[in-house]
Amino acid sequence: MRRTLIILLRNPLSLLGLLLVVMVVVLALFADWIAPFPEHRGAVVDFVYFNKPPSARNIMGTDLVGRDLFSRIIYAYRISLLLGVVVLAIAVPIGVVVGLFAGYLGGKVEFVLMRLTDVFLSIPPLVLAIAMMGVLEPTLLNAMLAVTAMWWPWYARLVYNVARSEREEGYVLAAEVIGASKWHISFREILPNCLPAVITKMTLDMGFVIIIASSLSFLGLGVQPPTPDLGSMVAEGARYLPDSWWLTVFPGLAILLAVFGFNLVGDALREIFGAEQ
Amino acid sequence: MSDPVLDIRELTLGFRGYTGYTEVLHGISLSIQAGQRVALVGESGSGKSVTARIVLGLLQETRTARIKGELSFMGQDLNTLSKKQWRGLRGTQMSMIFQDPTSALNPVFTIANQFIEVLRRVDPELSRDAALQRAGLLLESVSIGDPGRVLNAYPFQMSGGMNQRIVIAMALANSPSLLIADEPGTALDVTVQAQTLELMRGMVADKNTAVLFISHNLGVVREFADQVSVIYRGRIVEQGATATVFGNPGHPYTRALMAAVPRITGGGIPDIPDNSDTFLQPAVIHDASEGAAT
Repeated sequence: MRRTLIILLRNPLSLLGLLLVVMVVVLALFADWIAPFPEHRGAVVDFVYFNKPPSARNIMGTDLVGRDLFSRIIYAYRISLLLGVVVLAIAVPIGVVVGLFAGYLGGKVEFVLMRLTDVFLSIPPLVLAIAMMGVLEPTLLNAMLAVTAMWWPWYARLVYNVARSEREEGYVLAAEVIGASKWHISFREILPNCLPAVITKMTLDMGFVIIIASSLSFLGLGVQPPTPDLGSMVAEGARYLPDSWWLTVFPGLAILLAVFGFNLVGDALREIFGAEQ
Repeated sequence: MSDPVLDIRELTLGFRGYTGYTEVLHGISLSIQAGQRVALVGESGSGKSVTARIVLGLLQETRTARIKGELSFMGQDLNTLSKKQWRGLRGTQMSMIFQDPTSALNPVFTIANQFIEVLRRVDPELSRDAALQRAGLLLESVSIGDPGRVLNAYPFQMSGGMNQRIVIAMALANSPSLLIADEPGTALDVTVQAQTLELMRGMVADKNTAVLFISHNLGVVREFADQVSVIYRGRIVEQGATATVFGNPGHPYTRALMAAVPRITGGGIPDIPDNSDTFLQPAVIHDASEGAAT
């Protein structure tokens, strides 16, 4: 664990990624103290300052009803991260359990679980999420559900592949020989050997979840106003390009930085864990 | 005489595949008394390892396998046991040592954690400290001078010979009645293999453990076993005390096998034809008293 951190800090690219991730997390966690206009996260109207370009008062300008864009972006990070964490917290355990059982037990269990996974994987992810959001009400919770539904099959696939190859390892046979239960072998012997791959994918996926969630709200299917969300902010500003460029550029840049950060860290982790195996 | 630890009678095994039924074992009989070391020798694919897996009840879980024959262990009929009861025997009453000790240990856990799990098979309430203490003693008994360091290490940090000793200590930790050694240490170099086998012999002698020793290495078998069963194409073709079988091999296959052991004086490796008529010769059973006398 400590060694991994040291390697991350030594490489300039992964260090940049780590800094970006830390920045995003700090902004989201301490939004109430960092944001210059905390009240602007809600339905506030300030027509004196509406649609102003970046200035000393509003470093990223103001939106169409005069709210400070910088404050709103910070609060939007909160939503994005929350969504990412919740989606992964639900999707990863489901995917891991499905993949583990399918990979280790094989036979009928494998057939049923993996074909089910294939069904989910065969639907283009965004289409599935859009369809779900079309049926459900567009709320934060439902957005989380929709993204989770399209996310778990990837983890099932990943863990299934690792578990399949680990199943043939000597230590699994040795565990069977000393009478370990299937439960024990799945969770205590094979799972720890799958974790590096899962952790790496989770880091990479934080970025992708943020993008997908933003895409949904860009299409108006995600988080609803007045709650600030990066995707809907970009969508809102897109109508006023190129004159009011700050309305789109800053939220877009915010998405870019967050995703970039998580991807750099994820790539670095993949290298580190890959080299170890 | 008391019940043998392991008694196999007329064991047959076949696999159902796409091309139909293929019989792999054609009726094997084998019996091991407490404290006895019985070697099962034969070439690759002759059915040595599957026999071991049937005894452990592992092959029974393969759906395509068809297994017939009597298996009795310490006087109880294994075939009447439920899967769960059979699993209960593994790791407590019977245990096994594998070819490659390093891969038999899980790379993500320290030796200490893996040892504790083995010891808790028998005594689930065993505290960590007590388990570590016992593990330390067991490691000392396989000539590991510094158990503390070994217990905190991961399997890949140690040499194959070290891991082999750890695996032996683990396999014998719960004093099983039967130890199955499937080509132990074949993955190691010859000197290390000899050392660890010597250790293993000492330990099973102390604990009066019956050993089913599976090997293709006749030199090792001669050193280690008291009884030898030669297996060829799923049949036991010769059975008897080690000294007798080695001194006076009766079956042509046994003679071919022995002649195949490389010697410094050379000579080619003799062959037994693929469809040998002599293969159908009846099994040679040496009189048990014959070998004991020598």
